[in-house]
Amino acid sequence: MLDNLWNNVIEWFEDRSERAKLVRSFNESARKSFVSGIAPTLLKASISKGESSYKHQFSNWLNSGFRIQAFTGRVLTKEELMRIGKVILDDSILVRRLIVLGWDTLEIHGDSGQYGCRWQLKDYIPLPKFNKNE
Amino acid sequence: MNDTIIKDTLKLANETMNKSIASPTSEQINWWLWIAIIEFILILFLVLKQIKKPRDKQKQKFKEESLEQEIDFNNIINSSFNSKQLYDELKVKCHPDLFPTDVEKNLIAEKLFQEITENQNNAKRLIELKELAKQKLNINF
Repeated sequence: MLDNLWNNVIEWFEDRSERAKLVRSFNESARKSFVSGIAPTLLKASISKGESSYKHQFSNWLNSGFRIQAFTGRVLTKEELMRIGKVILDDSILVRRLIVLGWDTLEIHGDSGQYGCRWQLKDYIPLPKFNKNE
Repeated sequence: MNDTIIKDTLKLANETMNKSIASPTSEQINWWLWIAIIEFILILFLVLKQIKKPRDKQKQKFKEESLEQEIDFNNIINSSFNSKQLYDELKVKCHPDLFPTDVEKNLIAEKLFQEITENQNNAKRLIELKELAKQKLNINF
């Protein structure tokens, strides 16, 4: 009986580590691309509060938002924000990984300006129906 | 003299007793004790609930499968800024309407065009398709 509880504790720590690893890998790739000139804008991923109405069966209690900030030094247009978002959402492996690691919201923001775009991740991948009590 | 001392002592003892009975700390201690008991029961209930909850194997399997796959972050970053130009170029040059007379090329172009549209946000795949178009359709980019 205690095995179950112990597994949950272990799983929680593993998920935390995987989440941090994913954010770190993204930031590392973004930094390399910016330095080598492949990307004209530096992107930075971080964990945000997220939108509570976007919850799904894998969602975390807190901090369920995956935020990408584009450091352009100017206000990004809606099309530019949408473009980055679409590329992320088109990568089904990444979306699936984000979902199982507890994220439910994708947010794209510029470094200046007050607005950004937000997507509900579960809309972009068919999630199988698991145990209804979950 | 002794009487006065005894009387004063008794009076003082009486006052002290009254004060200690009237002090609110004894009541507070009881309150905190009850709060602690309720908290303990609540924690126990949550822990037991967690222990008895069956682990969903399907969910676990889905999660494990998802974590096994590799993510190409370099391609994602590259696609965010460079896939649009590539897609715009390919959709014009590989359009099936450019090969109206050659049936074979038209078929290849149709398939390529379909795949180009499906992978419009994937720079890596678009580069591969560009190479394919060069080879199969003899297009100069």
